[in-house]
Amino acid sequence: MSDNKTLIKDFIVENFLFGNADGLEDGTSFLEEGIIDSTGVLELVGFLEEEFGISVEDEELVPENLDSLNNLEAYIKRKM
Amino acid sequence: MQATALVHQYLEQSAARYPAKTAVVHDDVRATYAQIEHQANELAWFLTDNRVSVGDRVILLSGNCIEYVIGYYAALKAGAVVVPFSTDIKPDSFTALYEELAPKAIITSFRFERLLKAARIDALQPELLIVKAPKANFGNQHAWDDVVTEGRPQGPSPALSPDALASIIYTSGSTGNPKGVMLTHGNITANTASICQYLALTADDIQMVVLPFFYVMGKSLLNTHMAVGGTVVLNNKFAFPAGVLNQMVAEQVTGFSGVPSTYAHLLHRSPLRKMRDQFETLRYCSQAGGHMSRQLKQELARTLPAHTDLIIMYGATEASARLTYLHPDDFDAKMTSIGKPIPGVTLRVLDSRGNVVAQGEKGELVASGANIMQGYWQAPGATRTVLDANGYHTGDMGYQDADGFFFVNGRKDNLVKVGGHRINPQEVEDAIDGTGLSVEAAVIGVPDPLLGNKLVGLVVAKETQASPTLLMQRLADKLPKYKLPAEIRFARTLPKKANSKVDRFKCAAIIAEKK
Repeated sequence: MSDNKTLIKDFIVENFLFGNADGLEDGTSFLEEGIIDSTGVLELVGFLEEEFGISVEDEELVPENLDSLNNLEAYIKRKM
Repeated sequence: MQATALVHQYLEQSAARYPAKTAVVHDDVRATYAQIEHQANELAWFLTDNRVSVGDRVILLSGNCIEYVIGYYAALKAGAVVVPFSTDIKPDSFTALYEELAPKAIITSFRFERLLKAARIDALQPELLIVKAPKANFGNQHAWDDVVTEGRPQGPSPALSPDALASIIYTSGSTGNPKGVMLTHGNITANTASICQYLALTADDIQMVVLPFFYVMGKSLLNTHMAVGGTVVLNNKFAFPAGVLNQMVAEQVTGFSGVPSTYAHLLHRSPLRKMRDQFETLRYCSQAGGHMSRQLKQELARTLPAHTDLIIMYGATEASARLTYLHPDDFDAKMTSIGKPIPGVTLRVLDSRGNVVAQGEKGELVASGANIMQGYWQAPGATRTVLDANGYHTGDMGYQDADGFFFVNGRKDNLVKVGGHRINPQEVEDAIDGTGLSVEAAVIGVPDPLLGNKLVGLVVAKETQASPTLLMQRLADKLPKYKLPAEIRFARTLPKKANSKVDRFKCAAIIAEKK
């Protein structure tokens, strides 16, 4: 697992899963599994912007970019 | 649309008229009216064959999807009473509601297996448990795909009168236990017909649905569009608003509906402005589910395409969904109003003794009409506090102006007593929105040893350079001193309930946590 993916996973496990990573696979949809809601997505975006120094554009708020660890890893790679 | 007395007859009539037309779109799946109708018939027969009969409760625990729609109509066709559960229900409340409902069947999906385990479903022993794509084994469950196959052209038709219960919908009040609102077929069809009329819905309408069907406003989108032979596009990923907007363009959606936080989110963190010219088919956006500030309404009206109406609406679960709406022609002049009663509804402003107050004076909004509920399930005491000879007491305080428009000022039970003053948090929230520094705000009364209560504002700031001090300075120009919050705290987001409304109880908990 890349460093970026680990960082993101740690953030999600700590903030949304209360430290329990059971069932969070790299391809798991956060929304479909009820891990993150719309409030959580904004927190996640805030984290990405601070941690990776990127700017997440409004039109980039689509599941293809943000709705799994794999999608996030690829998105961050494109942005950096 | 033909007049009908039973909720599922809407589907049956539309399936007869437009069998090959797309009724429901969800992700890659497009289901026609004939498919939904035939599969609902098949599931209804399965329920009937397994001794589900008229008046039996059937729990529907599922996010919005094709199976939800089929399960809903199947249970109704079997004569059962559909009880939709919130998808974020906790195991303890599941067990409590299960016991008070004594249901005959549960229809759900694998997503809720963890919940069912935690709720000790093995001990509750439901007679019938139908699970879409089951992963766990509860012993006696039926896999959805074994039960619902190619469908059947006819369903069972038990003797049902319009007075038969069709649904029990639990409301999550800010305090107290959830109450099950009992709605008959007659209640729901009366409201559905009225909504179709005032929105002028036709078979050409395509609705983007981001609100959950277990919430009465979401459910009304399903009922109305199935009634006219329209299409519902289900998108459960509003958390990624750009994806929803892209799909609205691709599906040529004509209607969108949201609660205030939906629109706050769209204006704050979505490409709505950039994409506005692409919404060529969007006839209207409707808003209900609580008060939306003038600031937000104006910003939304400015942002939407010129051909898109913004329709403000007002209702309650107890009213099957809708009570009033503001005609778009009146938006500019009366945008802070909830409008006028929809066809078939009477709304009056009453004082505490049940007398109609003079025009312009404040009182409680009390509604009557064929859409008003029968009462709360197994709670005659709670029913008596809101239903009497005058109708349904909404608990909302308001008045009617000289032109006949109704206005809501706040909840009867939501005033916060600070020192000697009774303050309406909604007024303070509106003032915070009016500073232009806030995306969303919740003002909460917090116990205070000196004043009894003090007001704390939990605010999602619009710009990073905004500060609580700057916000307080601007607020001081808008509110008298005694209405100013004692404290403003910035938060990244406000906690929401599953129906997207701000969860004031959780807001209070956040404030209490970080003293």
